[in-house]
Amino acid sequence: MIVCVAVVGHNNNPLYLQSFVDDDNTLKFHYIVHCSLDVIEEKVSNSKRAGVNLNETFLGLLYPTEDYKVFGYMSNTKIKFVLVTTDHDLRDADVRNFFRRLHGAYVDAASNPFHVPGKRITSAAFAERVSNVVKTFGFGAAA
Amino acid sequence: MSGATWEVAESCVDSLNMELVATYYKRLHPTKPELAARRIEAIGYQVGLQLAERYTRDRPRFSDHLESIKFICKDFWAEVFKKQVDNLKTNHKGVFVLQDNRFRWLTRISVDALPLAGAQNESAVAANAVRASQAAGQYLYFPCGLIRGALTNLGVPCGVSAEVTTLPACAFVVRIKV
Repeated sequence: MIVCVAVVGHNNNPLYLQSFVDDDNTLKFHYIVHCSLDVIEEKVSNSKRAGVNLNETFLGLLYPTEDYKVFGYMSNTKIKFVLVTTDHDLRDADVRNFFRRLHGAYVDAASNPFHVPGKRITSAAFAERVSNVVKTFGFGAAA
Repeated sequence: MSGATWEVAESCVDSLNMELVATYYKRLHPTKPELAARRIEAIGYQVGLQLAERYTRDRPRFSDHLESIKFICKDFWAEVFKKQVDNLKTNHKGVFVLQDNRFRWLTRISVDALPLAGAQNESAVAANAVRASQAAGQYLYFPCGLIRGALTNLGVPCGVSAEVTTLPACAFVVRIKV
């Protein structure tokens, strides 16, 4: 089950964070996402040196915690997407597909003329797209 | 929604750019052309930011500035102006010149020619060319902003200026800020 989705800007400023559990402890997810930024940083600078996976946008599993697995994705414009999930056997393709659709939703939200670049995304339409993507996660559905 | 290509009639884009220039130069800031230019450039900048985000989807990240510039010259140009840049020059010190011999947004601009006294009056021909370049200049602030916005979003902070030599050819000069 997906418990949290976050979008982080190119200066590591939070753009969007949504948790999908009832206890509403979003602060915990802020911590987890914040920790993951260091891992993303490391992965991105290392891939340049090692020459492996050739700057792919999908960064794979960032780190596992006791309860969660954290996945990352970084776009060409240094926008980071972070996914926190409780599932332990996820298919790579599903996660990739999830991030592709999330990125698509972000692109449309960023193209909203009322969205100020670098500020938090407040659009209700974006929130709906995200929860839609989360709901259909793992079913191989196309947006 | 994702995956579908959205298209806009070219005549609409042309008209919009013309009206943008007319509104800012004649209506909003008739006495301050520099301010009007800056405003138009700022609008282009915002659009450029958004377009860069969209056009780099499903594409591996660029590793250096040159790759980003090449992306602008090829894919970005093809998306926005329906062709690629004709020539890319650089001094390897952060200045790039993007030469387009037939810039799409200038192809339908013409200037009332001054009456030519003689059939081979070269100075009058030259004067017409200068007037054409001046008139075209103000229509290039929007594309300048577009390029600057796209490059900035790709992590290449820069300044962009445009030069018109003979219509419809023009050159965009990108200066990377260090």
